[in-house]
Amino acid sequence: MKSRFLALLGSAVLSAGVANAGGFQANLQGQKQIGMGHVGTGLVLDQSSIFFNPGALAHLRQNGIQLGVSALNAKIAYRAPAPAINESYTDNPLSTPFQAYASFGKEDSPLRFGIGVYTPYGSSVNWGKSWQGRFGLNELTLQAIFIQPTISYRVSDKLGIGAGFVYSTGSVNLQRSIPLTTQLPSGYYAEGGVELDGAASGFGFNVGVFFQPTEKLSLGLTYRSKVEMEVKEGDVTFALPSSPLVTSQFQATQFDAKLPLPANITLGIGFKPTEALTIGVDVQRVAWSAYESLRFDYNAAVRGEMFSESLRNYEDSYIYRLGAQYRVSDILTVRAGAYYDNSPVEAGYLTPETPDADSRGVSAGLTLALSEKVDLDASFLYINKKERTDDASKSGGVPGTYKSVAYIPGVGLNYKF
Amino acid sequence: MKNVFYRWGATALLSSAFLFTGCEPEFEDDITVSRGDLDLSKYVAVGNSLTAGYQDNGLYLEGQAYSYPNILANQFSYAGGGPFAQPLFSQAQGNGSGYLRLAGFTATGSPLLVPVTDFLATESATSPFFKDEFTTEVQNFGIPGIRLSDIKTPGYGSAQGNPYFERITPDANQFQTYLARVSASNPTFFSSWLGNNDVLGYATAGGFSGTITPVATFTSLYTELITAMTANGAEGIVATIPDVRSVPFFTTVGPTAKPLLTAAVAAAQAQGLPITGVSALTKNTPARITITPASIKDASGGSILLTLTSSAYLPLIGQPTGRYWRELAASQSPTNAAATLRGYLTTFQIDTTRAFGLDPRNPVPSAFVLDDTEQAEINTATIAYNNAIKAQATAKNLAVFDAYEFFNSIQGGFMLNGVAYSPAFITGNLFSLDGVHPTQRGYAIIANRMIEAINAKYGATIPTIDVTQFRAVLIP
Repeated sequence: MKSRFLALLGSAVLSAGVANAGGFQANLQGQKQIGMGHVGTGLVLDQSSIFFNPGALAHLRQNGIQLGVSALNAKIAYRAPAPAINESYTDNPLSTPFQAYASFGKEDSPLRFGIGVYTPYGSSVNWGKSWQGRFGLNELTLQAIFIQPTISYRVSDKLGIGAGFVYSTGSVNLQRSIPLTTQLPSGYYAEGGVELDGAASGFGFNVGVFFQPTEKLSLGLTYRSKVEMEVKEGDVTFALPSSPLVTSQFQATQFDAKLPLPANITLGIGFKPTEALTIGVDVQRVAWSAYESLRFDYNAAVRGEMFSESLRNYEDSYIYRLGAQYRVSDILTVRAGAYYDNSPVEAGYLTPETPDADSRGVSAGLTLALSEKVDLDASFLYINKKERTDDASKSGGVPGTYKSVAYIPGVGLNYKF
Repeated sequence: MKNVFYRWGATALLSSAFLFTGCEPEFEDDITVSRGDLDLSKYVAVGNSLTAGYQDNGLYLEGQAYSYPNILANQFSYAGGGPFAQPLFSQAQGNGSGYLRLAGFTATGSPLLVPVTDFLATESATSPFFKDEFTTEVQNFGIPGIRLSDIKTPGYGSAQGNPYFERITPDANQFQTYLARVSASNPTFFSSWLGNNDVLGYATAGGFSGTITPVATFTSLYTELITAMTANGAEGIVATIPDVRSVPFFTTVGPTAKPLLTAAVAAAQAQGLPITGVSALTKNTPARITITPASIKDASGGSILLTLTSSAYLPLIGQPTGRYWRELAASQSPTNAAATLRGYLTTFQIDTTRAFGLDPRNPVPSAFVLDDTEQAEINTATIAYNNAIKAQATAKNLAVFDAYEFFNSIQGGFMLNGVAYSPAFITGNLFSLDGVHPTQRGYAIIANRMIEAINAKYGATIPTIDVTQFRAVLIP
């Protein structure tokens, strides 16, 4: 009986990925830190302090270059509201958030210069073109690459300050189906669709203070500003029935949009009970309330409207992180950590683009010293978001129950000189 | 250094790829499906065109495949439902009775509807009877055109009866009534959505032809039908009859014709014609009524409904024309059109040389107008029928899909899965190109409502279906 329908319904092509933190934040900025719950603001671990705390960079004893990449594999399941039982799954090719940091300064100088290139926000979600929520979303890809030149100054052995300028470049691609069905000459049915595609850029900054009152205790405080990614004259492409009465309703060819990447304030504490053991705690506040709506302004009317807007009304959220590393030997250091991330998405606002929920992350990692100058980092992070049911009544989203998990292995290489 | 990096990187990626395959997100609760108190092993559907899957002014294979009984049966299969046999047309005769398709739009935006005439199952383009009978088991007894008042008519399945019932009636049983046929089907669960045509035919004819079944007859027959269906303890669902005035067949033309007629009447008054509105026939009589443009129903008010069939003729208002009567005569009596036409003109006292609609001597035909009197008759009957239906549901402890309430509740439109629905013609996604029958999507939405009613009545959790997998009107 079922096959009678399936034969006519066609098969689903589903693939996807999702950001690994609240909203579309991707907290994957250093392989050592990922291995210990992404703590790092109150620690001096390596060149990734350019991101975690520019104030701590000048406390690094050596110059170096660090390259790292994570293989983000996230899957989301959707179940339609009861008593419906249809489910959809996303599945995507690996997305690869990366980080590259380099710092340099004279050995005795209190000044350190650095540059970081990293990907703190991004999302790749592909639900396909046949799932129940396709008129909300087929596929969304958000990319933002931050480039951050940084200067750090060691005021004293106990105090460091630093600042970086952020230039962000990225892109957005959003595809959704339009509920207009036409019959192709082949006899098959085709649904309409729209694709919005554009390059985006924005500016911001990253400042931090690092304070180490004793050998065993260190503190860090950073502020990473909001970066407003602006799309100008992105492309709008419609696939529609050819009747002029229809196409005249969809005249737009270009769109403008602004997407806020929210500010973060992070307070971190590092504690070294022994020479070999380091424990870190971070509390991160993400100012998601900057994300009020997703709005596209068109250069010509779409169904009589010059723009489309759906409310997001995210709320500020906190992330709590705990991690530790233990230096087993000169060659091997091991790490473990965990975090809890409150979702910024309020009830009624869940969307298939970020079907977010409070999430739990656990991680482990290690560093192998391959030589005096070369270290290899490896990390693995598992994220499990709570199952969440929402009526999506305020966001124009897709009501139902969502469940997300992610597996994120990563490797990094450090070269010190 | 590079080699090390590659080796480690490759190992990490490979091991992760291995991990992922077994790590799908899982929901905390398994899917719950339960039949409750129901025995769904043999489902039988009783009804008319709606039950058959009729849409776009015809019954064809695709519509049959997506009929609401077939959707119900598909969902019942999750909860112990058995097979469900429908009298499907063959692929070679897949266009069935023929139907209307949307070929495009006129310059003014009116839909161009053209008949599909290939791959038909009918004997010829003019004969509504079918080439091949369907004599194997049937569980969907949806017969387009059947009224409740037809269910005890002997010969309704004969070559002089209803072509759709004739198709599924073996020649040897040609005098078996519809009631006898469905009574013998011995279901464990049934649905009944009968009675629409007991008012609909009169309504869509604008009161010009057809009759309204007397309420006493309706009540008696409905009681007999439900008693027969439940004789062996079957449970089931009954559906009420929608307010036919809420379908696009009656609501589409009025709003566009209103300004047209307002202008035509004003122009005639300016030339000194002593009229206050358009002249129209009422019921099947030569009596004239006057329809003021303001009384035509649109968003701003009014009550008079104009049929979808009137849209081709209303542009002729003010012209000396007898086109409607000529075409009616040709369709009713192809061999003797001229004499038939003369008969019409005499009976209804028509002078086709006068200004159509503006001069009482050439009034708008009754078939295009559902006036207040006719509407009142229809509404009174519909409400009385629905009371009879609901009374039987209560007496036999059956679930009810209150179609009357449902179609009235959606008049303002609603959103579902990011799609806007309304009773608007074509753009509303719910009604097919005949303006009376739902689209496949509309039928799926109705099926889900029925499942919800069944679940509530019988403590079952039969799953609803993803309605986005069904199409609405195909747009060229």
